Parts: sequence; C-alpha cells; structure tokens
Amino acid sequence: MQAFDQIQELWQKHEVEVRFSADEMLQQAKKEVNGLKLKSALNILGMLVSFIAIAGVWLFYEYESWTTHAGFIIFLVAILSTTIILYRDYKLISRNDFTAHPKEFLQGLKTYQLNRYRLYNQMYWFYTTALSLGFIFTFIEILPRLNFFQQVLAVAVTFLWILFCSTLLRKAVMKREKERISLLIEKFERITGQISTPE
Amino acid sequence: MEQKDKLFKEIFDSNSKKIFHLCYGYTGDTDAANDLLQETFLKVWQNLDKFRNKSLISTWIYRIAVNTCLTYLRSEKRQAKDELTDNIIENKIEEFSEKNEQVALLYTCISKLEENDRLIITMVLDELPYHEIADISGISEGNLRVKIHRIKQKLTELYNQYASV
Repeated sequence: MQAFDQIQELWQKHEVEVRFSADEMLQQAKKEVNGLKLKSALNILGMLVSFIAIAGVWLFYEYESWTTHAGFIIFLVAILSTTIILYRDYKLISRNDFTAHPKEFLQGLKTYQLNRYRLYNQMYWFYTTALSLGFIFTFIEILPRLNFFQQVLAVAVTFLWILFCSTLLRKAVMKREKERISLLIEKFERITGQISTPE
Repeated sequence: MEQKDKLFKEIFDSNSKKIFHLCYGYTGDTDAANDLLQETFLKVWQNLDKFRNKSLISTWIYRIAVNTCLTYLRSEKRQAKDELTDNIIENKIEEFSEKNEQVALLYTCISKLEENDRLIITMVLDELPYHEIADISGISEGNLRVKIHRIKQKLTELYNQYASV
C-alpha cells in the first residue's frame, strides 16, 4: 500500500524534459505564418518574372500585326493586375506580427482567406479569360509562321495547360490553401480567445 | 523589445518545466504537452505587458496554463485526440515499463481523474501553496482544501488498486 506522500515523491523524482527553448518556441510559432508569407511572396515573384519575360519577348522581337501587340498588352495587364491583388493580400498577413498584435493579425488572416477564395474563383476566371484572349490575338500572327504539326502542338498544349490549371490544379491548390489557413486561424483563435483574466 | 525578450526568456527558463509537468499530467502525452506548453507561453508573451504584479508571475502563468489545458481538448479538432488520451496513456505504459513502471502507473491514475481534479492534483504534487492553487483555479481556499483531500484519497486509492493488479 502506497500513501500519498510516496506518490508525491514519485512524481517529483520523475524528471521531465522540455523539448525547446524560449527562442525556438517563438520561432516555431512564427514559422507556420512565415511559411504562408513565403508562399505568397514567391507567388508574387513568379508573377513578376512572368511579367518581365513576356514584356521582354514583346519588346525584343518584331511583330507586324496589331493583334500581336494587343495580345501582349492583354497578357501584361492581366498579370500586373493579378500581381497587385496578390501584393495587397501579402500585405494583409505580413504587416502584423502575431506575437505582437494577435487580434489585428487574426483579422488580417481571415480577410486573407476570404480574398484568396475570391481570387481562386471570380478573379481566376477573369485571369484565364484574359490569358486565353491574349493567346488568340498573338496566335493570329505567330501560328502562320509555324508548320502544321507545330501549330497543332502549340494550340493543343496551350489549351490543355489552361484547362489543367483551371480545373484540377485550381481545385487542389484551393483545397490545400483553405485547410492550411483554416488550421492557422483555428490555432490563433484558440490562443487569442482564451486569456480572460491577465493581470 | 530586447528587454521584453530577455524577461520572457527568464520567465520561460524558470517556469517551463513546471508548466510542462502540469500539461503532461493533464494529457499524459509528450506531444500534446509540448503543444500546450507552447500555447501557454505564446499567451504569456502576448500579455506580458499587461501583467501588473498583482500576483506572483508563476501564479499568473499557471492560470494561463490551466485555461489552456481545459480549452485545448474541448476544441472540435482535439475531441478525437481527447478520446484517444486513454489509449495514448496505455501505449505510454509500454514505453515506460522498462524504465519506470510506477511513474507510468501514476500517469494512468491521474488520467482517470476528472479534468479539473487532474490539474489541481498536478499542482499539489508540485507543492504549490494552497492559496496559489485557490487563486489559479478560482476556488475558495476552504473548498479547495476539501477538494484536495478528496482528490488525494481518490488518487491514492486508484494507484493502490492498479498497483495490486
């Protein structure tokens, strides 16, 4: 038969080991948010690279037809406007540090989630339509320069790529991002909402 | 900010082990205890400026930790984990058995107590003064003494019952 004192002695003898330091703990909390920020920043960077590449192709090659110029302008306007939207979303999650301004950060995260949802729905179709229109205009001049096989290949690859991005890829990215942001919101809501009586 | 960082590190170093012990006693699971420890100290970090020295800082941190523990398993996502707590603890017995069967048994017995009782007894086992436990758990000291007496009895009974099996 053990008495409570012996149980207490047993408890106190059992050494526990904390796995992380204060620094690691704060870094870990920031890491999840930073992952989201990094992804958003890379997204913007990718768009800017595309913008520069397409602008380069437009400026450094000679085109005769106005349709080609119109096509490139449509590409650039679509990419630039989407990049601006992406940058505004990025600012939403990057301007507040969770450890310093939890409520503002949480609100920003919720708006970010809503904006991303809009981006992958309404905005995505605007973007896809603009790109398709851009391709149609540029193909008017470019396709006749290619042989029949190349023409079929260019149209097929472009069409299939747009179809793939609009269906399978879009849905998968939307689902993954929604889950990721929801988990973050849930976690930070739990952390923010529990303090009732700090002195 | 640098001063806050320094202060936080000091607070973390002097309190993290006890808070981890509390979380571990509550969940019986190292991973969950680490999650709870992290959440607790994130709240400490956020609210450090609001702490006004009306009570001991350790009491304040314990109170945050107790709130965190109680809400943690209640959130929808954790419900499934909550149901698994017993299984986790049972599995831990296997891990412990070669090292320290008695400790494993103690955690099993603590897991059989009510949620609030689990937290109170963990603080008692860590020898927190009764007035502090009363302050943390929001129970009057008189009621707390009665409660602690009952929990001690229950835990001792459970321990002896399991030990004799």
